Amino acid sequence: MPASDHEFLNHYLACMLVASSSEAEPVEQFSKLSQEQHRIQHNSDYSYPKWFIPNTLKYYVLLHDVSAGDEQRAESIYEEMKQKYGTQGCYLLKINSRTSNRASDEQIPDPWSQYLQKNSIQNQESYEDGPCTITSNKSSDSNLLSLDGLDNEVKDGLPNNFRAHPLQLDSSSDPSNSIDGPDHVKSASSLHETKKANTGIIHGACLTLTDHDRIRQFIQEFTFRGLLPHIEKTIRQLNDQLISRKGLSRSLFSATKKWFSGSKVPEKSINELKNTSGLLYPPEAPELQIRKMADLCFLVQHYDLAYSCYHTAKKDFLNDQAMLYAAGALEMAAVSAFLQPGAPRPYPAHYMDTAIQTYRDICKNMVLAERCVLLSAEILKSQSKYSEAAALLIRLTSEQNTWKGMDSDLRSALLLEQAAHCFINMKSPMVRKYAFHMILAGHRFSKAGQKKHALRCYCQAMQVYKGKGWSLAEDHINFTIGRQSYTLRQLDNAVSAFRHILINESKQSAAQQGAFLREYLYVYKNVSQLSPDGPLPQLPLPYINSSATRVFFGHDRRPADGEKQAATHVSLDQEYDSESSQQWRELEEQVVAVVNRGVIPSSFHPTQYCLNSYSDNSRFPLAVVEEPVTVEVAFRNPLKVPLLLTDLSLLWKFQPKDSSGKDNEEVKELVTGEPEMIGTEVISEFLINSEESKVARLKLFPHHIGELHILGVVYNLGTIQGCVTVDGIDALPRCHTGKHSLSMSVRGRQDLEIQGPRLNNTKEEKTSIKYGPDRRLDPIITEEMPLLEVFFIHFPTGLLCGEIRKAYVEFVNVSKCPLTGLKVVSKRPEFFTFGGNTAVLTPLSPSASENCSAYKTVVTDSTSVCTALISSASSVDFGIGIGSQPEVIPVPLPDTVLLPGASVQLPMWLRGPDEEGVHEINFLFYYESVKKQPKIRHRILRHTAVICTSRSLNVRATVCRSNSLEDEEGRGGNMLVFVDVENTNTSEAGVKEFHIVQVSSSSKHWKLQKSVNLSENKDAKLASREKGKFCFKAIRCKEKEVATQFSEKYTFADIIFGNEQIISSASPCADFFYRSLSSELKKPQAQPSVHAEKQSIEDAVRLIQKCSEVDLNIVVLWKAYVVEDNKQLILEGQHHVILHTIGKEAFSCPQKQEPPEMELLKFFRPENTTVPLRPSVEQLSNLIKTSLHYPESFNHPFHQKSLCLVPVTLLLSNCSKADVDVIVDLRHKTTSPEALEIHGSFTWLGQTQYKLQLKSQEIHSLQLKACFVHTGVYNLGTPRVFAKLSDQVTVFETSQQNSMPALIIINNV
Amino acid sequence: MAVCVAVIAKENYPLYIRSIPTENELKFHYMVHTSLDVVDEKISAMGKALVDQRELYLGLLYPTEDYKVYGYVTNSKVKFVMVVDSSNTALRDNEIRSMFRKLHNSYTDVMCNPFYNPGDHIQSRAFDSMVTSMMIQVC
Repeated sequence: MPASDHEFLNHYLACMLVASSSEAEPVEQFSKLSQEQHRIQHNSDYSYPKWFIPNTLKYYVLLHDVSAGDEQRAESIYEEMKQKYGTQGCYLLKINSRTSNRASDEQIPDPWSQYLQKNSIQNQESYEDGPCTITSNKSSDSNLLSLDGLDNEVKDGLPNNFRAHPLQLDSSSDPSNSIDGPDHVKSASSLHETKKANTGIIHGACLTLTDHDRIRQFIQEFTFRGLLPHIEKTIRQLNDQLISRKGLSRSLFSATKKWFSGSKVPEKSINELKNTSGLLYPPEAPELQIRKMADLCFLVQHYDLAYSCYHTAKKDFLNDQAMLYAAGALEMAAVSAFLQPGAPRPYPAHYMDTAIQTYRDICKNMVLAERCVLLSAEILKSQSKYSEAAALLIRLTSEQNTWKGMDSDLRSALLLEQAAHCFINMKSPMVRKYAFHMILAGHRFSKAGQKKHALRCYCQAMQVYKGKGWSLAEDHINFTIGRQSYTLRQLDNAVSAFRHILINESKQSAAQQGAFLREYLYVYKNVSQLSPDGPLPQLPLPYINSSATRVFFGHDRRPADGEKQAATHVSLDQEYDSESSQQWRELEEQVVAVVNRGVIPSSFHPTQYCLNSYSDNSRFPLAVVEEPVTVEVAFRNPLKVPLLLTDLSLLWKFQPKDSSGKDNEEVKELVTGEPEMIGTEVISEFLINSEESKVARLKLFPHHIGELHILGVVYNLGTIQGCVTVDGIDALPRCHTGKHSLSMSVRGRQDLEIQGPRLNNTKEEKTSIKYGPDRRLDPIITEEMPLLEVFFIHFPTGLLCGEIRKAYVEFVNVSKCPLTGLKVVSKRPEFFTFGGNTAVLTPLSPSASENCSAYKTVVTDSTSVCTALISSASSVDFGIGIGSQPEVIPVPLPDTVLLPGASVQLPMWLRGPDEEGVHEINFLFYYESVKKQPKIRHRILRHTAVICTSRSLNVRATVCRSNSLEDEEGRGGNMLVFVDVENTNTSEAGVKEFHIVQVSSSSKHWKLQKSVNLSENKDAKLASREKGKFCFKAIRCKEKEVATQFSEKYTFADIIFGNEQIISSASPCADFFYRSLSSELKKPQAQPSVHAEKQSIEDAVRLIQKCSEVDLNIVVLWKAYVVEDNKQLILEGQHHVILHTIGKEAFSCPQKQEPPEMELLKFFRPENTTVPLRPSVEQLSNLIKTSLHYPESFNHPFHQKSLCLVPVTLLLSNCSKADVDVIVDLRHKTTSPEALEIHGSFTWLGQTQYKLQLKSQEIHSLQLKACFVHTGVYNLGTPRVFAKLSDQVTVFETSQQNSMPALIIINNV
Repeated sequence: MAVCVAVIAKENYPLYIRSIPTENELKFHYMVHTSLDVVDEKISAMGKALVDQRELYLGLLYPTEDYKVYGYVTNSKVKFVMVVDSSNTALRDNEIRSMFRKLHNSYTDVMCNPFYNPGDHIQSRAFDSMVTSMMIQVC
């Protein structure tokens, strides 16, 4: 800062004249220098070095280089000097006691090191630091320092280029320094040193410690002997002057001033052009004397006196309207008041304010105002009045916007930064204000071209804004940081800053985002160009939802080929459904259990072809060589601009395994780029629109076995040009590579890292947060396995309930390995069949058999209509063995092996499920390789068939005992079977009518004998909503047929209504029958708990139950005529009714159950009431079958004989397998009045009560006689029969079923 | 006629911020953010004893050349900051106070919404329209 006229702080107080002892004539040299100094001070040519008082103190120093010069001579010259200038005015300084070549041996600390170290930094910040040094105590020494500096320069031998001097305070404004500087006095030796100092860092290497002491001593000597006495003297002089001036009373003085002020102004008209703020005094003006004295006092740290002097001076200047002087005095008054020890008076802050205002507004001297502000701010800060300091600093900046030139930016930046620091230093730190002002400072810095500082400011502000949710501000800061870092070539920082903008969900507009993205890409491009061989950079965009990554093993599903319909299997298009996946898992477990004879091996894991976040990914998945691995990566674009990914492919690592099995071989790690190992599919373009989520499916084709690790994706990230460009953003030069001229793009990668599920099993895992491994991206490539493809031909989508349809399945082995052990498993085995084992398989080609019936038929004679045709078959033939899983069905491959490339077509019959609606039926095909593989034992193929069924027939059947005696064999009794068939079809499907073509029975013990339905309508037709009833007679099979009780031999009896017999014991019909039977058996049956004491009772009960049991199964075969597309079609089908109990109605389809009403929750346990097991009355009443045999009408001549006796035979047959005691009571019960009326007219004759015992299945006939006295119609069914099991004591004596009215007509002849 | 209305959570992140001249949004964000220091200062200036019966309305936080910034703090330390055009002299302290009260009521409604997660950005349409009405009002 240049010294100004209104103050004397920068004025020189003394001058040191230095000559070297090696000079030829040092004394002469001194006088020359002295003249020079005098010339400079008193010649008006030199405006700059301002001198405090006219007679400046001169101090003569003889510099003696010990290593070079003659000491004697120096001493003598010194003596000469002493005589000339007096002992107090001169000094002999000896330095360089050490020769320079010895310097390297000893390590003497560099005396300059603490000042020179910060050399480069301080050059920049000297603006900042400069004012600070003035404020402190040093300010008093500032004059000294500059003198000192000159002095030392000689010793040190720095080059004569003064601007490079590290300690220089005001290098720019002091050209006269070089004149003043005694560079021409420099000795030869110091020149020698100069080089060293220039090149090396070590300064003052030739100085020994004693030299240091000498220099120190010299300074002390100078200060005490020379300077201080000089100052004292000057103060005394000034004081005297002031006191003498007091003689002229101040008031008078000022009064005269006022009088003459008018005349004074024109005198200084020249000055006024420069300074309009008030008058200027000449340098030696008496008004300035007090100020001079104040400054001197200030210099010697006599602050008390200084303050009072400044105060007086201020008053004077104000009176004179000399505003500049007044401001200076005010400023210094404040400073000295602050510096006073013990602070007798409060710091006059308003002095400073006034001073600043005066400087700024009146004097328009910004430099001074600034100095004043900085001083004031420092003082306020030291008093921890930070907010005031900040306000001061900010006030100056806001004004400076318009201030001249480019400098103002830098100044305000500095001031703002200081203000920001003030805010954060406050008692309650104002962090946000700090940040805001930092940003402002950064902005000004960047305007001033100080990029590093700007970056630093923004980074500091960033700390406050980071992660606080102020996204707009954060983005702005990040963007600026990115920009600044980029221009400073700190590319990594730039990239990370831009990355932040893009990663966070920004609320910026689309155009802004596009600009950000482009800038980011541009910077990134530069980064990658810097290090083209480095690893690919990680890109932040687009987002990858790594947990949504799905991996699929295997080929894509082949689309339906003509009429062929491929198995649905698994594909990435299917949504995950935990329920269905559980079903598949169960199916697989079933089939594996069957293959391994009922035990699931412990190493079994369900096969997973598609891995997602729900599947079990804790094991390494297995992939088969030559089968593709598809990875679905879920991308999301968070931006409002579209992203274009090009050359998108997977990044992988492969560890091949030698097929010879040498494990100890060196593990070779390969990274992408060996297509003979793993083929990689590349997606050339993948566009993600703004804020869109999109999945990409990327494929790998493993050609070797080994371990594959999918690491991530690699792609070029680019954007689509043509979005709105934002001003200023486009300023960056665009670089066009030849490859992507449309848009800019960078190549980079993103890793796929999937976190496994959180572990929560052990206590340790529960208390800490641990995640399991997720290995879905690390498949093991195994050896070749067979691959099956299944096609369905003529597979229907809609069926009537119970309809039988023939379809074909084609099995193709598309791999290079033969496959075997093909099985299919389904939860609904009653839905389909491949035909029985014994059936002759005639794999007709599907097209040839299109119009044929699904059934195997035989043309029969129409005469034998009403009698049954009998055949028999065993259930084992149809794969329904005892204990085996009915769900697992082996597929009858011709040779049990399917060779590579071979295909087999098999017929398959389907039966529409009995319930109407949409059915989803899952098939799981299981197959194995012929070669046993250790890793993959089997493979599976899934198929889901969707079948829509519509209602067709509803069949109900009951069975009851026949009372007729016509049974020739007379044993076991006959049964009547009533079958109600109702057409429940609502004819939407164009079904015209149903024809019942055949009713077959299937049972171990019973068979249908003939139809007793004597309607003319032989071809039983049922139109919509019609109901028909059939009645059949069933008899027991011949004994020899029954003989083998447990040979699951079923007798089939067919009753035909047409002229074709469907062989019900042959393939499709019997298959479905057995399947429905087994599914029926599967239904849980309430098994009464067995208690030992009740054993006998239960036996009895079982016996009793048994006699009312019947295991007759009815199969109703039908044809439906359907009109579809103006064509008549014939559909066939069958329904099954399973009859268990006599008298109970059975249905073909399960009755819909009313959903049970919401029950109230019971909060107490229901008491376990163990009701003694009793057979129901109904069951008991079936023990004995009774029938009365009598003539239907009886003619009796009543006029001859008044009593008519009619013989009646009562047949009692024991239905049970045990002995039964029977009591027959013929006495009338006269309890009911109506019975009295009827029965009064006839009586039984003879024994009225019989007691008999009937052996198992025995038939006993009782001859009874009825006596009638009148003609009429009588009911003979009065005998009451009681029965009980003979080995039981009392219980279960029940009246047997009351036979139906047995009417007899008595006629009179 | 507010120019910018902001709701700031207890932890000093914005729950809602909206300003009318959308092109200069960043400036308002900075302004509101910086005003939080003054809010903090005003709250801490009040003694602990006074906190209970203190006035929610904080008054003028600071004026700038073009705008005046007013503050309001709920008992749960949620801050409302409103930036008002300096040229609009029609707005007295009382009007500002009533605007804040309205804002507070509306904010309370938002908080009462069982589907609103406290701490989330406010996306309520009712709140939005209320703020809009406050911005247009008296215009």
